[in-house]
Amino acid sequence: MIFEQVFNMINVGLVILDEDLFVCHWNRWMELHSGIQAENIIGSPIFKFFPNLDNPKFLRNCKSVFKFGNFSFFSQKLHHYLFPFKPDSTFGSEFNHMQQSCTMGPLRDESNVISNIYLAVQDVTEIAAYERKLVEKNMQDGLTGVYNRRFLDTKIQEEFSRHKSYHRPFSLIMCDIDLFKNVNDTYGHQCGDVVIKQIATKIESMLRKTDFLARYGGEEFCCLLPEANLEAACNLAERLRQAIEEEEVNFDGQTLKITVSFGVAYMHDGVENAETLLQMADEALYVAKKSGRNRVAAA
Amino acid sequence: MSVAAEQTLSADEQDILQELMNIAFGRASADLAEVIDTYVVLNVPEVRTLKVDDLPEFISTEISEHDIISIVEQSYLGKFKGVALLIFPSGAGRELLNLFGDSNEDYGEDVSMASLEKESLMEVANILIGACVGKVVELLDDEVSFSPPRIIIEDHPRNAIPCEIFEPDSLATVMRTVFQFSERNISGYFFLINSNESFQWLKKALNLFMEQYE
Repeated sequence: MIFEQVFNMINVGLVILDEDLFVCHWNRWMELHSGIQAENIIGSPIFKFFPNLDNPKFLRNCKSVFKFGNFSFFSQKLHHYLFPFKPDSTFGSEFNHMQQSCTMGPLRDESNVISNIYLAVQDVTEIAAYERKLVEKNMQDGLTGVYNRRFLDTKIQEEFSRHKSYHRPFSLIMCDIDLFKNVNDTYGHQCGDVVIKQIATKIESMLRKTDFLARYGGEEFCCLLPEANLEAACNLAERLRQAIEEEEVNFDGQTLKITVSFGVAYMHDGVENAETLLQMADEALYVAKKSGRNRVAAA
Repeated sequence: MSVAAEQTLSADEQDILQELMNIAFGRASADLAEVIDTYVVLNVPEVRTLKVDDLPEFISTEISEHDIISIVEQSYLGKFKGVALLIFPSGAGRELLNLFGDSNEDYGEDVSMASLEKESLMEVANILIGACVGKVVELLDDEVSFSPPRIIIEDHPRNAIPCEIFEPDSLATVMRTVFQFSERNISGYFFLINSNESFQWLKKALNLFMEQYE
């Protein structure tokens, strides 16, 4: 009697299935979130109401629990959910479905034979939402919204390994806003921020979806271009240079003209590691600066 | 009886445990074929009693031919109690994903290849550990619960051994075997590190197990 009350009062979805995966019990939590009353689903195969569960992994894990009496875990990270329910809280607005962490385990009869399995469904939407925000914040530059240095460092390592394994080309463009110190000194740091944001937006709008733009330092950006050879990267850098040259930045009733210098480096077999590639792009940038700024130089 | 004798298994008891595991793994192997449609060869297990402090080095030596490894760890909790470790050489995740991945399933954009591989490792480890431990405790007339599997990827094994769950200076029964997925290039090591706390019970259970044959 008391156990039955707990079964229905607990803030966790509980389902009990028999060996043919027919529903034997369906608690109140499941009724509330699925809109399916226990009396309507008990006695039916679970797949009749949830055809999405009829997949090899779910079946494999049911078999395993019946055979070995172990537990199976369906993580939110990979599966997001087992039962497609609507998100419950305001945190769920960014998810189409309630995010669930589910466990499956054995239930034995009087003679100790596994006769049923249970499924416990936990709503982890709020945790998943926080995690997603944290992951985004960890990759993003606060001012411009483009990727940050930390993300770029990891991404360059990934691209480097991909190059080592599959010999796919990739290039880097280092971009540095010319005479940025003058902007800050003349118009103030708020203006400097506006310039940085606008340049980032401009560059990002001209990249392919597969490219990555990161804020590398104060007024320095880095574009990582997978699958781009040196020629393609230089062409892009030149287009970026022209576009920014033509752009006007408006701040506090004044109009500023900004230019950017570019250093391009290309990954080839002679480059030993990712750091060397960054250094090559940096050196090319230095050449562009030395030879008068507002230009593109290649390593 | 001295303290040491209480804490270790006698030679006979070790033999019984080894034989029992052999039976259990045979059964696990047969049932695994049904569950995952692949035959998993589980070699004859080896049983040893080791000091907990020596565990990391023992495991490192055992797997020294592999530089990069993935380790999945899962605790089991019953009268039979301890930690199971499955050690895969690097690249096994990809192989397992090919074997068990559901190509029709859409995992969404935010799920990377690396996390799919990790999930495959954990799923397979969960089933393998569940099968092996499940069959062992069945023969010992016990039932166990399992913690969710955890993965420690490409890490030095020393960091992966959760020594803190054992009392320092205590002894652990280590059961080790090599498993191999037939017709697939997937193999690895399986360690059961049984906690000291269950020694007394294990001794009794092993003797009870033997009585059936005497």
